[in-house]
Amino acid sequence: MRPLLNEVQLLEDYLKGTLPEDQQLDVEVRLLWDQDVQQKLASQQRAYRALRLFGRRQLRAELEAIHIRLFG
Amino acid sequence: MMSTQSLSMDAALLTDRERTLERIYAKTYPMVRHYVKENRGTDEDAKDIFQEALIAYYEKAIDGQLTLTSSVSTYLMGICKNLWRQELSKRACKTGLSHAPVDEIGEEIMVDDEQSPATLMTFVEQLGETCKSILVSFYYFGQRLEQIAEQHGYRSVRSATVQKFKCLERLRKAVSHLSIDQFKR
Repeated sequence: MRPLLNEVQLLEDYLKGTLPEDQQLDVEVRLLWDQDVQQKLASQQRAYRALRLFGRRQLRAELEAIHIRLFG
Repeated sequence: MMSTQSLSMDAALLTDRERTLERIYAKTYPMVRHYVKENRGTDEDAKDIFQEALIAYYEKAIDGQLTLTSSVSTYLMGICKNLWRQELSKRACKTGLSHAPVDEIGEEIMVDDEQSPATLMTFVEQLGETCKSILVSFYYFGQRLEQIAEQHGYRSVRSATVQKFKCLERLRKAVSHLSIDQFKR
């Protein structure tokens, strides 16, 4: 068994496509039969989406502040 | 020549986001406002359109997806003109169809789509300050781990990396409950 953190990193690298070819294939094969890994991957993608939405909202707030400073 | 210029702009966005954005804002927003107001829009419209364009530009620049062949201002102006034209035709459409029931269904679907982002964002909010800041800095604002380690007082990039993945694991766990609930429905 891999330790949990390594597994988060492994899935991140898998999604980025930066794993060595054999490991990339390894994850792909596991995704075929391992429901636990499938769910983890789906959740991780959802986590990235949450961060994108949250970051976007923060950036919007920063722009709003700039707007008020410059043109308020 | 041009690519060097946009490269340094990308770097400036990473290292000094606020001042870089402010510089772009000060230079470009007046042009956008002028254009929108000349074309049946208000100051508020101009602001919305411009901020949307700036966010799109920022995300692309951070991703390294962008090779500008013109200045940032020209590029943003182009996006704004497009967005404003789309907005105008959307508005024309809405007034034209305001009595059609089809439109109401369309709007309902829109509202449903917006529920989920709000829910997702609350999971990020519920992380501690440190985790929230590390994750958003890294995954959205594209900051390097060296920078993040320094800002959060980690002794090495390695320990910042470990922390980043711990935080991501927590967020993943939090949103996984959401996905199970959604599947059940």
